[in-house]
Amino acid sequence: MADARVPRKKSLDPAVNQMLAKAKKENIQTIWDRYETMLPQCGFGDTGLCCRHCLQGPCRIDPFGEGPREGICGASADVMVARGLDRAIAAGTAAHSGHAKHLAHTLLKMATGKTKDYRIKDEAKLKSVSTRMGIPVDGRSIADIAKDLAMAALADFHEKETPVMWAATVVPQKRVDVLLKHGLVPKGIDHEISEIMHRTLYGVDADAVNLLLAGLRCGVADLAGCYMGTDLADILFGTPTPVKSEANLGTLKKDWVNIALHGHNPVLSDILVSVAAQKQDMAKAKGAAGFNLVGICCTGNEIMMRHGIPSCTHSVSQETAILTGAVDLMVVDYQCIMPSVATVAQCMGTQVLTTMDLCKITGTDHMEFSEEEAGKKAEEILAMAALNYAKRKGKPVEIPDVKTPVVAGFSVEAIVAALSKLNAVDPLKPLVDNLKAGNIRGVCLYAGCNNVKVPQDENFVIMAKKMLKENVLILATGCGAGALMRHGLMDPANVDALCGDGIKAVLTAIGEANGLGGPLPPVLHMGSCVDNSRAVALAVAVANYLGVDTDALPVVASAAEAVSEKAVSIGTYAVAAGLPTHVGVMLPVMGSPLVVEVLTKTVRDVTGGYFIVDLDPESAADKLLAAIDERRKGLGL
Amino acid sequence: MAANQTYVIIGASAAGLSAACAIVKTEPEAKVTVLSEETDSPYFRPMIPFIISGEKSPADVAMTGQGPYQAKGIDLRLNTRVVSLDTHSNQVKTKSGDTVLFDRLLIASGSSPYIPRDIEGTGIKGVYALRTLAQARDAAQRSSSARHAILLGGGLLNLKAAFALLEKKVAVTLVVYSPEILSQLMEPDDAVMIRQALEHAGLKIMTGRSAKTIVQGPNGVKAVILDNGVDIPCDMVFIGKGVRPCVDFLKSSDMEIDQGVVVDPYTRTSRENIFAAGDVAVTFDPVTGNRVVTGLWTNAAEMGLCAGKNMAGDPTAYAGTFGVMNATQVAGLPFVSMGQVHPGSGDYEVHRNVSGNAYRKLVFSKEGKHLVGLVMVGDITHAGLYRYIMREQRDIRRVKEKIIGQTLTSAHLMYG
Amino acid sequence: MDQIKEIFVRKDLCMGCHSCELACAVAHSASKNIYEAMGEHPMPKSRVYVETVSASVPVPILCRHCEDAPCMHACIAGAIHRTADQAVVTDADKCIGCWTCVMVCPYGVIGRHLEARKAYRCDRCQDRDQPACVSACPTKALVYQTVTDFSKDLRRKAAEELSRGEGR
Ligand SMILES: Cc1cc2nc3c(=O)[nH]c(=O)nc-3n(C[C@H](O)[C@H](O)[C@H](O)COP(=O)(O)OP(=O)(O)OC[C@H]3O[C@@H](n4cnc5c(N)ncnc54)[C@H](O)[C@@H]3O)c2cc1C
Ligand code: SF4
Ligand code: SF4
Repeated sequence: MADARVPRKKSLDPAVNQMLAKAKKENIQTIWDRYETMLPQCGFGDTGLCCRHCLQGPCRIDPFGEGPREGICGASADVMVARGLDRAIAAGTAAHSGHAKHLAHTLLKMATGKTKDYRIKDEAKLKSVSTRMGIPVDGRSIADIAKDLAMAALADFHEKETPVMWAATVVPQKRVDVLLKHGLVPKGIDHEISEIMHRTLYGVDADAVNLLLAGLRCGVADLAGCYMGTDLADILFGTPTPVKSEANLGTLKKDWVNIALHGHNPVLSDILVSVAAQKQDMAKAKGAAGFNLVGICCTGNEIMMRHGIPSCTHSVSQETAILTGAVDLMVVDYQCIMPSVATVAQCMGTQVLTTMDLCKITGTDHMEFSEEEAGKKAEEILAMAALNYAKRKGKPVEIPDVKTPVVAGFSVEAIVAALSKLNAVDPLKPLVDNLKAGNIRGVCLYAGCNNVKVPQDENFVIMAKKMLKENVLILATGCGAGALMRHGLMDPANVDALCGDGIKAVLTAIGEANGLGGPLPPVLHMGSCVDNSRAVALAVAVANYLGVDTDALPVVASAAEAVSEKAVSIGTYAVAAGLPTHVGVMLPVMGSPLVVEVLTKTVRDVTGGYFIVDLDPESAADKLLAAIDERRKGLGL
Repeated sequence: MAANQTYVIIGASAAGLSAACAIVKTEPEAKVTVLSEETDSPYFRPMIPFIISGEKSPADVAMTGQGPYQAKGIDLRLNTRVVSLDTHSNQVKTKSGDTVLFDRLLIASGSSPYIPRDIEGTGIKGVYALRTLAQARDAAQRSSSARHAILLGGGLLNLKAAFALLEKKVAVTLVVYSPEILSQLMEPDDAVMIRQALEHAGLKIMTGRSAKTIVQGPNGVKAVILDNGVDIPCDMVFIGKGVRPCVDFLKSSDMEIDQGVVVDPYTRTSRENIFAAGDVAVTFDPVTGNRVVTGLWTNAAEMGLCAGKNMAGDPTAYAGTFGVMNATQVAGLPFVSMGQVHPGSGDYEVHRNVSGNAYRKLVFSKEGKHLVGLVMVGDITHAGLYRYIMREQRDIRRVKEKIIGQTLTSAHLMYG
Repeated sequence: MDQIKEIFVRKDLCMGCHSCELACAVAHSASKNIYEAMGEHPMPKSRVYVETVSASVPVPILCRHCEDAPCMHACIAGAIHRTADQAVVTDADKCIGCWTCVMVCPYGVIGRHLEARKAYRCDRCQDRDQPACVSACPTKALVYQTVTDFSKDLRRKAAEELSRGEGR
């Protein structure tokens, strides 16, 4: 009997499959091999019924009722599952806000003159964000404002007089009221994380519903972390505007020094991109045509959005970039970097460089990056890559001849700017009018990762294609964006084939008004995973325009192939914002009927949002469409 | 051993068929003839209460081809009662006057119900001493129009019959001479939970009473008069007062009979080529070494298997059986009873434990080294392990706490 | 005739994670999927039991499919038989829940499904190539081999240990 969880195929991406064939031939293990070795996976962990929160453990509860029904401490299945879920939310929140904190420190160092390698790229956004934070801007120097904003950002991490400002000021007042009513307004981002660690400690919170409410509040703190990350990155590196690029392994070039930038934060990657542009000679001196920078995961999204740097691959297939043999240096910062890249790199003779103290990987090289010496460090990295190229030159590489055109760069600002070409005075009006008229049936955000349990990209592609035909406006971030771009869903040339008539008309009207001579791409790339905040910002703008709360909007979200705990925390804030939120893989909560009930039903009474867990992309899409229609009806549309 | 021996078996039930299958397995060419006085093909005798209740059909309870009874090529002769055995000429004579010659013979004639002589009217229509499928079919029919049945005896057989009758919406009164039900299987204190469950299930139980007379009406039985003179109307009566080995047809032979047919540990009788197994045989208790006759399917099947092997030339010692060794579930309560279950005030170490819905009594030998008996009610987890350590007479001192607490697992015995 | 494969326990490798139990219950569910299996009626049950010798020594116990299986001979309903590949299996349709088999199994590996009133035990997963417990065991403490292969492996391991000892 076949195990239900062995995917039928590994990836929908031909480039990835080509590399997997190569890996097989050369006997190199990939994530798919390791997954198979792991099967069948432990049912206790799978259902959330395993607890290691104290040293009396591990405890596990038998879902079939024959063995233990509670932990050694007496924790019920409900408590165990809720505690575990809370910790996942806290971990995700820590990661996003850690990313934002890193940007805040960079901004502060820049504002106080501790580093010369960064500057404010978007002064307008600096001012608008500062104003939102209550920081005076008129007549003040950019550096002073920047310093205050950096301090305000850092202040949002701990408990203070005011709530977390990046949460309280970014949602409609009605939403603030809902959050206040249920005690869901975070006091400090780090405070919420550490409070989760406290309440999930041995012998603290043993009320599943109370635990889940704390998880929701932490989710709101995660929204703040993400939002802050986006704001500060835009201020430091520029707010994205539409840009043309390409995606997939075919963007690696044999005769170039290929540098793959992998991880998340633009603090390092953005500098590398600009230094590389100036130092092409370094590559040429080693006999290469130049530096070819490509992105992986959200680093790829950040530099694609701002600089049009191509995306090489994403998430579950990160090893395949190295398998080409053409990557001269993989530079990583943090998050989603599989430790296995070290092994695959060793097999292929590729160098992997870690750069952040919190993310070192045995078997790779480390160069501690510092904002103070960012430019210099970037040059050292380029030199290292050029040297590696010299050693690789002439050796065989296998680069799949697969790449897809991409138009990316759809920040909210960019979308509003594009809309203003249709209506300069009231830019949101055309969007809202089309929503009302039904040309746009609703909006769906695709976010999150690629999970080895799902044939890579399958859930995203099936769902997005189905919803485009149904005239849903599709936004994408993170590796969800990576999935959709690889399959041509961000290529304007495919609008005709993919989109329903309503959405086609909207995308075309905006494109033409902006002198593109054609439509916008079928799916709008909004950025990295912290940039899910952009989707929230867009929803908030529309809600404010209509004078409703976000839970009234026909807006839904889906983490169709989620992996990271970050996806769990994002899902949580999507639910906190009132969105029906699909997850396309099992969350480790099935061991508690109560938790499942709360997440998929009861929470609706609190925030208006709820989780939809459905592993089948077809029926998941149907459920999201039904949720959209239900909300349209609620708005009288 | 000479091939193609002629094997004859008297009785086609647990012991007889187990032996027949074992013989065929050991010696595939053997000629095996099984003689049965019944007209029905072999069936699982303990299942006949389900025939009364209608939950099973005769086909459902047939033995051939089911469970371990898979052997082919056995010459089964139904409606063939053996009336005598000649151990000198190695032949048996049947009721129809035929003689059947054998090289080796197994006596597996089982037992039949004991009918107390002091009760008048036991021959009336509607009075059953349940033993055969034929009787069960008859009782099934009668019960369809019956309203009240009186069951004489508080043993397991009557409890099973009682639930079959309740299933048919017949009211049941159990008349038990002993102070408590199941007196063969446990002491009165052990039976408290079961009695409550039975009464809760709708059984009426009268203890310390016996029947004197069964009264005939136009359609058979119409009432029972008790020893206190009380006259209770009823349309069915079941007598469940134990069984006696079927040895009448051996009277004229020189077989050693002590209640049943006496055998050695290899199931052999006083005659080299004649064996006995099942309810008809006298076997021994592995703990006390005492002779016992039993009325147990488990014993009959296991002993028959042994006998078959021994007859076919594969010497296999029988480990003996406890006179008491029963498991069942009545009124939602599972229970097991085995070995020395009546320690009384004798020289034993006895532990009793009542908790929630479970009761258990563990009887250890005087010096506390061996487990010799147990009653488990409500929770019978790992009962087989206990049977094993009792039967093997394992020194249990190392695991005694676990035995008492019912936390013993085979891991402790295998690896401990 | 091909030798029959059996489930063997390599006791020293058992970590006591109980994964075999879950996999067994799921393999004997209607849906064959843990998420749904948890909600099924009758509740699917595991037929392998991770017992403990002492607090720190776990050991999986399961049906030995005994030669002359006592349970099979004891069953008063004919519900237990031996399959062509030598597995002793309980036919739930025939079982009447009298627990006679439970009383005679010397290993204590027959479970009682109280809800369904049926006895159940290891059937070596008749519908799978490899029993679910063996597939699920992360440390390979359960193996599915012929007696010959299993004892060969044991001997090889002993020899390796011996030679390692000599090398020291
Ligand atoms: C209703 C009921 C429920 C029971 N429940 C249980 C239970 O739960 N557990 C348990 O362990 N036991 C139970 N028993 C007892 C069990 O059925 C017997 O112990 C078992 O059948 C004995 O098997 P046997 O092969 O020794 O003899 P029998 O089953 O008695 O078979 C002997 C056969 O030989 C035939 N025979 C006798 N004399 C001759 C002759 N001269 N010529 C030819 N044929 C002859 C008989 O007609 C009979 O067919 C129950 C019995 C009954 C009636
Ligand atoms: S259930 Fe017990 S007695 Fe029956 S074959 Fe398995 S181990 Fe042997
Ligand atoms: S419980 Fe079922 S399988 Fe076991 S002996 Fe009774 S009828 Fe047979």
